[in-house]
Amino acid sequence: MPYVIAAPCIDVTDKSCIEECPVDCIYEGDRKLYINPKECIDCGACEPVCPVEAISQDRRVAAEYGEHVADNAAFFTTTLPGRDAPLGNPGGATALGPVGVDTELVAGSET
Amino acid sequence: MSTAVDVDVLIVGAGPVGLYGAYYAGFRGLSVALIDSLPEAGGQVTAMYPEKLIFDVAGFPAIKGRELVAGLVAQAAAFEPRYLLGRQAVALQQQPDGAMVVTADDGTAINCRAVIISGGIGTFTPRPLPAGGEYVNRGLFYFVPSLAEHAGRDIVIVGGGDSAFDWALNLEPIARSVTLVHRRPAFRAHAHTVAQVRASRTEIITPAQVTAVRGVDRVEEVDISIDGESRTLPAQTLIAALGFLANLGPLKDWGMTVVAHRHIPVDTTMLTDLPGVFAAGDIADYPGKVRLIAVGFGEVATAVNNAAVLIDPSAHLFPGHSSDAVPA
Repeated sequence: MPYVIAAPCIDVTDKSCIEECPVDCIYEGDRKLYINPKECIDCGACEPVCPVEAISQDRRVAAEYGEHVADNAAFFTTTLPGRDAPLGNPGGATALGPVGVDTELVAGSET
Repeated sequence: MSTAVDVDVLIVGAGPVGLYGAYYAGFRGLSVALIDSLPEAGGQVTAMYPEKLIFDVAGFPAIKGRELVAGLVAQAAAFEPRYLLGRQAVALQQQPDGAMVVTADDGTAINCRAVIISGGIGTFTPRPLPAGGEYVNRGLFYFVPSLAEHAGRDIVIVGGGDSAFDWALNLEPIARSVTLVHRRPAFRAHAHTVAQVRASRTEIITPAQVTAVRGVDRVEEVDISIDGESRTLPAQTLIAALGFLANLGPLKDWGMTVVAHRHIPVDTTMLTDLPGVFAAGDIADYPGKVRLIAVGFGEVATAVNNAAVLIDPSAHLFPGHSSDAVPA
């Protein structure tokens, strides 16, 4: 039951959520941030600090953003552009650093 | 200075599951110590959501995090568990005869016959304040175990969560001044506590960040930036309540298998792949695992009862019913 970052984050990437996450599981793409569903502990600390209310629990994601549940996971399970392998579960975003690319869904989103 | 502690069972992690394990070990007649890197019992519940209502603990239709922890501490108290708080379990040594020694970061050696790891998501480290780190314990604090130490001072608290607001509320009556600084106008703290702080002498400044800390030996003043404008506040105490980062810490080097950087596989007795070392609660892993406090309570009871048989092979696995016994 992880938390999910949806479309309102695109081109905002405020990163307040990154400061709150106790397990460092919020990763930075190019235009959006992504929560690793395998590393999220469902604590909810990130949700209230998002200035654009992009974060919600996966089972409470607004219908219009439903595809972002799978898309947050896809950021880690699919091979992103310019990489040789999926990110998997790196165990912390700080050590990995900004990834700099997005999923197909986010990269193709209109501004 | 190093000291030694001799117990039957050492529980690593004093969250809800560890505390219940301490009760259970006591009920089984085992002496027990609990070690936790945080200065207070309650683990994640105390550190992250003391004011949140929990609805899925058996027997409590709704209970606040801090009340659950207080109840667990009271339940275990009858058996006088030894608390080693503010200390981290660093190393494990196992002897061929089954005796074990766990060493803490302050040099304390805990001699035991079984270890139960109820470490949740790992050891919590306060998120550091970007400016002023060199003043730690010289006016800059990440925890407030004693309010009296800060009496009569100008106090600046940084953060917007429950800890920041609880400390503001509790320090305001004894401080010369309290200023709460947070980088956003929205707060994660419980709305009722925020309202109480707003109604007090405490000044809340947002959106603001601490940019510099100054003082000869100790903190004397801090600079904050409010929307690009700078302001200097007198402060003899600066408290950073910016949340926590958790990781497995030294446990990952103890030799048992760790999966996904975070979980320790166990068998149906809650034993890890190290002899005498059990795991229970969020940190323990097996197929079909569900990470809930309620599940952890059952796991730690299983771990303690199996540890009891390990320590004394003539003991029964089933402990009898607590309703048959009168606690000491």
